[in-house]
Amino acid sequence: MAAGFKIAEPLEYHRSFLKENCRPDGRELSEFRTTTLNIGSITTADGSALVKVGNTTVICGIKVELTNPLVEAPGKGFIVPNVDLPPLCSSRFRPGPPGEQAQAASQFIADVIESSEVIQTEDLCIERGKLCWVLYCDMMCVDYDGNVLDACIIALLAALKNTQLPEVTINKDTSAPEVNLEKRKGLQIHKHPVGASFCVFDDSIVILDPTAEEEGLATAHLTVVTDEEERLCVVHKPGGTPLSAEKLQECIGRATVRQREIQTLVDKVIHSVKTAE
Amino acid sequence: MAGLELLSDQGYRLDGRKATELRKVQARMGVFAQADGSAYLEQGNTKALAVVYGPHEVRGARSRIRHDRAVINCQYSMATFSTAERKRRPHGDRKSTEMSLHLKQTFEAAVMTQLYPRSQIDIYVKILQSDGGNYSVCVNAATLAVIDAGIPMRDYVCACTVGFVDETPLADLCYAEESGGVSSLALALLPRGGQIALLQMDARLHQDHLEALIEAAMTACKGVSKVLDQVVRQHLQEASVASAE
Repeated sequence: MAAGFKIAEPLEYHRSFLKENCRPDGRELSEFRTTTLNIGSITTADGSALVKVGNTTVICGIKVELTNPLVEAPGKGFIVPNVDLPPLCSSRFRPGPPGEQAQAASQFIADVIESSEVIQTEDLCIERGKLCWVLYCDMMCVDYDGNVLDACIIALLAALKNTQLPEVTINKDTSAPEVNLEKRKGLQIHKHPVGASFCVFDDSIVILDPTAEEEGLATAHLTVVTDEEERLCVVHKPGGTPLSAEKLQECIGRATVRQREIQTLVDKVIHSVKTAE
Repeated sequence: MAGLELLSDQGYRLDGRKATELRKVQARMGVFAQADGSAYLEQGNTKALAVVYGPHEVRGARSRIRHDRAVINCQYSMATFSTAERKRRPHGDRKSTEMSLHLKQTFEAAVMTQLYPRSQIDIYVKILQSDGGNYSVCVNAATLAVIDAGIPMRDYVCACTVGFVDETPLADLCYAEESGGVSSLALALLPRGGQIALLQMDARLHQDHLEALIEAAMTACKGVSKVLDQVVRQHLQEASVASAE
């Protein structure tokens, strides 16, 4: 009977749970789903991570390549993020070129990388004006159950921490780069940005970490990205119903708590991988 | 001739396997919540994900509706980080389109499409890490995913890529062997009846060796089918225990 009600009147179904201050999957309004992290499983990639936030699963793979820096910025490398929402992750996505949501997500991640300065692009320069690294970060969602942005940011952070850059020396005589694949060193991660996504129901109730159904029924979305110094990196509220300033402050507060949890998780996993080696 | 010895005098290959030995197969079914059927399969270092949606109403072109059977739609793609060199065009390039077509033809032979007229079954396969035998790993993963989705099939579809070196057939080629100039043959088999669903070879091979190569491929496929059967039974057992609680 509940299943029929859920399909016929999804909004009423969710409202009946929200009245009791909980959600259909038993969570509190400001509770995140269980987050699990696995790193370094893809050996062909230079860095990789798999994140599950509830059912939402995102795999991030990082490939590094050599290239020439731009003339205007001779001492900087490049980071190119790309978010892929393929048809296999949900029946809502059709095969073909990247849709709106995927493109918007890619741009969002690019903004997060730039504003949070997770990696200084100067660290990616090998020889000023001649050679630098380009990091291709490909985030692929394989199971879509809402809140892809948060999962992508965590996956990206974990994969970057896992990335090993090979050592490159420039041969003085031939001025050709020589890559030593055996000697590798990790990337320097300056900041740890972590996102928290919210959605607004009925103009007033704010819930954290929405599932795909909740996202579809919400009247507004909000994503806050903070770093470990409690600085705001990105606040993204694309239209929707207006939100009061105090609610926004509460959300930012919740996001900072989340940042600490995730940073602990990432450090724990990285540490356990290192000690296992 | 080649720098690397693909088959040593003692009969060992580059990764220490014997000529007829398959790589280690590890698989899990029902890994994704959104899809009707899903599976993750690792064969050595090649990792593939297969996801099945369906049977559902035909989406897109109405002209594709078949009145007497289901339409199978396959898409094969590789993750950009799956190969040693970053893959610029993960889907839409000729190789992927050809693979998608082969997968579609293979599964049209095995899935009982007459049971679902006017509908569509989507099979999406993604290679996360590529180390040779891509087609075979995809077919094996997709078989498990179709079974997980509860879509009836005539038989398991098992595939294996075999090659011919020094008068010996090598089963289950890895990337180093495939690119080492070995004549490779990919075979998809329905093991119980010994029926071949797909056979693909585009390399030079002497006619006399073909028989031996196909034999070796069929034996390898039967070996794979035993492993897949084991995985399915294990999954069913876990599922029945979970639902009983």
